Amino acid sequence: MDWSEPRSFREWLSRLVSLRCLLTLLIVYCLALSELRFDWVERSIGAYLVTTNPARPRSGHIWEKSRDTVIARKTLEKIVTDRQASQRSALDATNLVEMVATLPEDQGAMLSADRFRGLYRNLPDRLAADLMSPIELLRLSSSGKWARAYLRKQDGGLKIYLLDPGNRVLKEIDVLSEFLRRIEREGILIEGALEDIPGLTNRLYPAQQFFSALEALPKEARIEVLDQPETLLSMSNPVDRVGISDEALSGFIDIGFEFLENGTPKVILVQARDWAVWQLSLLLEGEDSPPPEGLTP
Amino acid sequence: MTRAGRYIHRFRLLFYAAGVGAAIAVLAGFGFFFTVLRDLPRVPHPLSRIIETPPTEFYAATGERLMLIGGRDFIPLSRVSHHFLDAVIATEDHRFWEHHGVDKLRTLKALWITLFEKGRIQGASTITQQLAKNLFFSFERSWMRKFQEMLVAVQIESQYSKEEILEAYVNQIAFGVSAYGIEQAARIFFGVAASDLTLPEAAMLAGLPKSPTRYNPFRYPERARNRQRIVLGRMTAVGYISQEQAELAGGETLDLRPGQAIARPGSYFLDMVIHSLEERYSVQVVYHGGLKVMTTLDPRFQRLAAAAVKTGLADLDAQLGLDKDTPDAMRPQGALVALETQSGAVRAIVGGSDYGKTEYNRAVQHHRLPGSGFKPFLYYAAFESLDMHPATLAVDRPVTIPVNGAPDWTPENFSRRHDGPMVLKRAFSRSVNSVAAQLIEATGPATVIEAAKRCGINSEMSPVYSLALGTSGTSPLDMASAFATITNGGVHHTPYTIERVEDAFGRILEEHIVSSERTLDPDVAFQVLDMMQGVIDTGTARRVRSLGFALPAAGKTGTTDSYNDAWFSGCTATLGASVWVGFDRDRGMRDRNGRGITGGRGAAPIWTDFMLKATEGEPTREFPVPPGIRFEYVDPVTGAPRDSTAPDAIRVALREGQTAGTSFLGEVPEMDTAGVGSTEIGPMETGPTEIEPEEMGPTETDLDD
Repeated sequence: MDWSEPRSFREWLSRLVSLRCLLTLLIVYCLALSELRFDWVERSIGAYLVTTNPARPRSGHIWEKSRDTVIARKTLEKIVTDRQASQRSALDATNLVEMVATLPEDQGAMLSADRFRGLYRNLPDRLAADLMSPIELLRLSSSGKWARAYLRKQDGGLKIYLLDPGNRVLKEIDVLSEFLRRIEREGILIEGALEDIPGLTNRLYPAQQFFSALEALPKEARIEVLDQPETLLSMSNPVDRVGISDEALSGFIDIGFEFLENGTPKVILVQARDWAVWQLSLLLEGEDSPPPEGLTP
Repeated sequence: MTRAGRYIHRFRLLFYAAGVGAAIAVLAGFGFFFTVLRDLPRVPHPLSRIIETPPTEFYAATGERLMLIGGRDFIPLSRVSHHFLDAVIATEDHRFWEHHGVDKLRTLKALWITLFEKGRIQGASTITQQLAKNLFFSFERSWMRKFQEMLVAVQIESQYSKEEILEAYVNQIAFGVSAYGIEQAARIFFGVAASDLTLPEAAMLAGLPKSPTRYNPFRYPERARNRQRIVLGRMTAVGYISQEQAELAGGETLDLRPGQAIARPGSYFLDMVIHSLEERYSVQVVYHGGLKVMTTLDPRFQRLAAAAVKTGLADLDAQLGLDKDTPDAMRPQGALVALETQSGAVRAIVGGSDYGKTEYNRAVQHHRLPGSGFKPFLYYAAFESLDMHPATLAVDRPVTIPVNGAPDWTPENFSRRHDGPMVLKRAFSRSVNSVAAQLIEATGPATVIEAAKRCGINSEMSPVYSLALGTSGTSPLDMASAFATITNGGVHHTPYTIERVEDAFGRILEEHIVSSERTLDPDVAFQVLDMMQGVIDTGTARRVRSLGFALPAAGKTGTTDSYNDAWFSGCTATLGASVWVGFDRDRGMRDRNGRGITGGRGAAPIWTDFMLKATEGEPTREFPVPPGIRFEYVDPVTGAPRDSTAPDAIRVALREGQTAGTSFLGEVPEMDTAGVGSTEIGPMETGPTEIEPEEMGPTETDLDD
């Protein structure tokens, strides 16, 4: 239909109130009213937004918080895992050296009093006594106050706290790295001959000569050289040779006992007090003079 | 063209222009919509995910839960009092059940007011819009943010039911004082579950979200009350309650939980704990990790400490002539730290007069000059390094100490007079500065610093002679810890606030081990301790006794130049506390008569008030005397041995090998060791000193340091 411009105001008015125009206005009015009544615009937009929701960014306060929560959980999980790993290795360790080897620096493990007593009992008597007097341990055990032990790796050594149930320290023990090395070397079995072990090659003696000299030592010196001969006695093969180290470590000297097993030489290392070894050396070398000042039992 | 034709022509142009404009507007609207859509945040599903963050909980040493951060106590809508739901809907969004996220009529009205009424901004956010804002948007006001908020709101309405929206809203809403969600708010403000809120309580709480700080009922009860009445008025207007019910509820007295009101002063303590945890574990872990933190705080001690500081500062205000109109910034502040001497466990921290007004923790962060409160470390250093003892004779005389590259140092006594010869115990209990100056000259500042550090003073100290008079700043926490070392036989415990930290599953992350270190010689420490007992029994802090504190205790007052700082630190055998009062900015404290406020007047009463109640019912525990200590009685002026029954004899603690009457600090004039008096500088020449302070009755100002 061709459209022509209205020629007069009357014509324009008549067109304005025409059915078509009124219908259009009515539709617009109905639309507006229905929107006010039924919120169809918001509902349409809302429905559309729901469909786009999965593709939209996880931004805003709540999502940041969610990310922080994930980070926090991961951080905590790592802390807990590390701590549990330390704890597990501490429980699995058969001696203090193993414990130090598995504990990360500046981390610790909490043990029950029983578990600590077990570790203590695993130490050779002499080392155990050096760590802490067994009488003191008995006193603490019988006091009823001692509940746990906290072991913390520190400067290559170990700090041991014996704690009461309220985590108050009943006794604090510093285990230096030298002491741990002593534990490490005590009673270990090395594959090979005495000549293969650095430091033990200079003073080698037949077993017979060594044990005869040892027997000739006073009792207190004998104990300080070989306080636990059970290890040697329990071997099926006899000791052939004995080597004495030239070096002393924290007042102790390594002694190697060589024996053959299936034709292969093996050495058991033990540690002896330096002053006692000095007396023994005099006998082995055929001399007999009193020890110098400072090396008294 | 006819006239009508011209009009029609113009109208037609206008019509077309409007049509084109509308088309452009619609197109621009679509463009804007899709642009905004790109940055529109994703709405989580389910909506309850908003409270998934586990809260970090803080517990007192008694097991009581102190605070909860980062999480929410989520409860279903069925467990929320209908009074609260009605109140919050009536106040925040009375057409909540009808609209679809946006209240169009209210929005148009608000838009009209904002655009055409100068200076007025009208808000029209529905509950859904508020939820959208709280979940995703900052509090920055912008058209863009508002539009995004509206879009998210309509999406939330399309995705969730009205009940789910309301449930999410009431569980995340902020009520102030660390209360998030209606369950926490109900418990913190009224000690009840959200389901048990009464109409007046619900109306009070529903009024808070508008401005939790401004309407905080603990701090501004009247404002909160007025807000409650507005809420009740809205409920009446909407038809939820009748006028009578509103009036009845408005007139009802509310039972706010006072315990929670003062839980906030514990925040000085908790602030310190949170800061320490943030350093160890990171901010995310503290606020989102759901830790369980067992602290050393004793809620009873904390309440007593807060009350003692409050009362003490009110008394101080009265002494200083300050009235209720004096601005807070012009009032003195105070701090108190209490700790267990035999473990270092911090039991209470008050870092200021009101945490709500000032969060600055003066108990820990403040480094103020301790004045004579520092003298125990000086005397310890002198006793240990120079083999002196409490019976060592010194002369209170004018002293001038040359200082390299600086003017000579001439310390003055607090009393502005010199009392001649006296034993160190008396010099200590009277806090004689000239003797302290001679001691540091003989000992050397470096030795004193080393002794102070061994005691537990961690702050920086300058190696200068004036250190003897406490010219290096320190905190009440350090002072309490250092005094505890002396009273604990020289065994130092590092102060700590966290006993144990667990994760949300109860797995232990750390435990505090109460280890100790002997940092002081026990015999020397006891000699200083014995003198510190003298300070409380007969010296500058004898007010402690006059106020009724009877347990064995040792302490020392401290006052700095111009009365800027007043201290008192002291311990019993089990509990130690340090108190500081003063203005934040350098300003002296003088009463209406112009007399300065000393440690004995300003801080000791607060200490006594706290300790009296904290140790109530405790048995008398004497400080243990080390085996190497013996007691003798000496003349306080000559240091010569006296019979214990002699009226002027004072008891001194001596170590093995030490003899009274044979030790002197510097050059001492010849004395008649029978105790007749001095032959050259007699006490009567410089002032009366022979009579014990209490007998002589000098004013406290005369005696104080």
